[in-house]
Amino acid sequence: MALLEIENLTVEFATAGGAFRAVDRLSISLDAGDVLAIVGESGSGKSVAMLAMMGLLPWTATVTADRLKFDGRDLLSLTARQRRQVVGKDIAMIFQEPMSSLNPCFTVGFQLGEALRVHLGMSRAECKARSIELLDLVGIPAPEKRLGAFPHQLSGGMSQRVMIAMAISCNPKLLVADEPTTALDVTIQAQILDLLLNLQRETDMALVLITHDMGVVAETAQRVSVQYAGQKVEEQPVVELFSEPHHPYTAALLAALPERATSRTLPSIPGVVPGQFDRPDGCLFSPRCAHATEQCRTQSPSRAPAGLGLAFCHYPLIKGVPQNHPGKAASA
Amino acid sequence: MSDEEVVLRASDLKKHYMLPGSLYAKPATVKALDGVSFDLSRKKTLAVVGESGCGKSTLARLVTMIEEPTAGSLQIAGEELADADKTVRRNLRPKVQMVFQNPYGSLNPRQKIGSALEEPLMMNTPLAKAERADKARSMMQAVGLRPEHYDRYPHMFSGGQRQRVAIARALMLDPDILVLDEPVSALDVSIQAQVLNLLGELQDKLQLAYLFISHDLSVVKHIADEVMVMYLGKPVEHAARNVLFEGPKHPYTKALLSATPVPDPGRQKERVLLKGELPSPIDPPTGCAFHPRCPVAFGRCAAETPHLQPARSSQVACHLMDEEKQPV
Repeated sequence: MALLEIENLTVEFATAGGAFRAVDRLSISLDAGDVLAIVGESGSGKSVAMLAMMGLLPWTATVTADRLKFDGRDLLSLTARQRRQVVGKDIAMIFQEPMSSLNPCFTVGFQLGEALRVHLGMSRAECKARSIELLDLVGIPAPEKRLGAFPHQLSGGMSQRVMIAMAISCNPKLLVADEPTTALDVTIQAQILDLLLNLQRETDMALVLITHDMGVVAETAQRVSVQYAGQKVEEQPVVELFSEPHHPYTAALLAALPERATSRTLPSIPGVVPGQFDRPDGCLFSPRCAHATEQCRTQSPSRAPAGLGLAFCHYPLIKGVPQNHPGKAASA
Repeated sequence: MSDEEVVLRASDLKKHYMLPGSLYAKPATVKALDGVSFDLSRKKTLAVVGESGCGKSTLARLVTMIEEPTAGSLQIAGEELADADKTVRRNLRPKVQMVFQNPYGSLNPRQKIGSALEEPLMMNTPLAKAERADKARSMMQAVGLRPEHYDRYPHMFSGGQRQRVAIARALMLDPDILVLDEPVSALDVSIQAQVLNLLGELQDKLQLAYLFISHDLSVVKHIADEVMVMYLGKPVEHAARNVLFEGPKHPYTKALLSATPVPDPGRQKERVLLKGELPSPIDPPTGCAFHPRCPVAFGRCAAETPHLQPARSSQVACHLMDEEKQPV
């Protein structure tokens, strides 16, 4: 049985301009020990989907799903009290900006100990011993001294290590890392990614890595789910995704990377991600897609089989060629 | 190289900041920039690479004349800045313009795009209102904005479009040099490609020289002609793009290159993982500033500061280069 099963998760926000669908029928399945990367541009609903899974969204959000199960428990039917026993213990999260996600008013030791006290009922002495062990585990030198430090006394890389220590303090089964290295320098980024992967391997937890950096994806993930405007457009193992993308968006995204450029002009994707008021009918990517036809603009596509990367497209690509495509004339 | 027109020449440029002492701290000097030299020619891009705190942004502030260098000389379009009087400086300022990292913070939210573009003209040229509007509209077209955007406010634009506005504003005074401080790091990949393409086009069309500040090596590899890698205020390696990316010589450059994630899952590569973090520039390590983190440091590194010197086709500041030269 899968550790995490999400089927047709939809999140809508009530805004002044009407309901806005941030996540649209998203399905994810994850086993223990999996490393899944969720890739997408800003506004593609990557973070919102994970926050919805943990019940951390504000009241303006309406979360619906056909199935939302973690470790055999239905997350949707849990009461707030029951959910708090799962979130922070079995499911943990690391946020993007380590500097602003630690509370500046409390010491590192206090913040680390909080989860241990609440979830594991440890005593003061146990908390302290475990905190030192955790800081040591994430590679912070002189951990005894750091327990009394306040967040402003730590550098960005150090704060992110503390965040990771907090997240893994209760041996979670699932760790969600939301852009864990975006705010860090490259040499520190390499250290943090290494640390995360080592921890993941040692404890056999499942890791969901939310990112927009294709380089990070290629070096860390086993499986990749590509999201666009709230929808999952493709999901494939990492090697296959990079060698043969089946959705035109994935293909265009990869082509736009400077590393893959063959000429001085990069093949860019025209236009921008649709917002609340300019969501197109039919396929959401159709206004920016090079292969879009009348059918794309009017009808929502269906999902391709797993062999085609579950591509959410009328004409999934095989070796860069759209299948069953009526031809260039129709796409004009 | 000699027949190319050098528009910006820096030699041994330094910027030191004084930290006043207090009850708890002694007065200290931060050597934000400590001896940087380079030439920048028309139509060329010099990329400055390094981690936070290495002095990239201080360099940008000196080149754009926002701050005065502590020592060293800076020549813009052949004029030495140190002995320039007020009028000369006033005439030089429009030649160097800057595009900032965050297009969400660098545009005034209460100013329409049109007036943001016209403001530099109002301050620096005697153009009449109608001429200014004409110029703004043609510049908007040049950076790929539509005419109806003239009367809009910044919040109505996406990040990529805002960066186009910021670029257009920097180009209004027909500068020779554009200082680009992480111009694409706040943007998504697909938008990043659009902006990089635009920068390339504009460089060809307007014969611009770019000082491109970035920490993203993949972007630098794409756009730069020359690359200067900095560490704690000092350049550690300076070379042509291909030379640097194909054969990095300084251990820090090697580490930086190997730490940059490559979007190719099939690639197996050796990682040089650096230990520790950037030391504080208030109290830099003795000798070579990189030696506490350097995987190949030896006795001499802690004692003696290496200087940038030619090593084959690049310039490297590392004692290892001396060792290599000696016959073993």
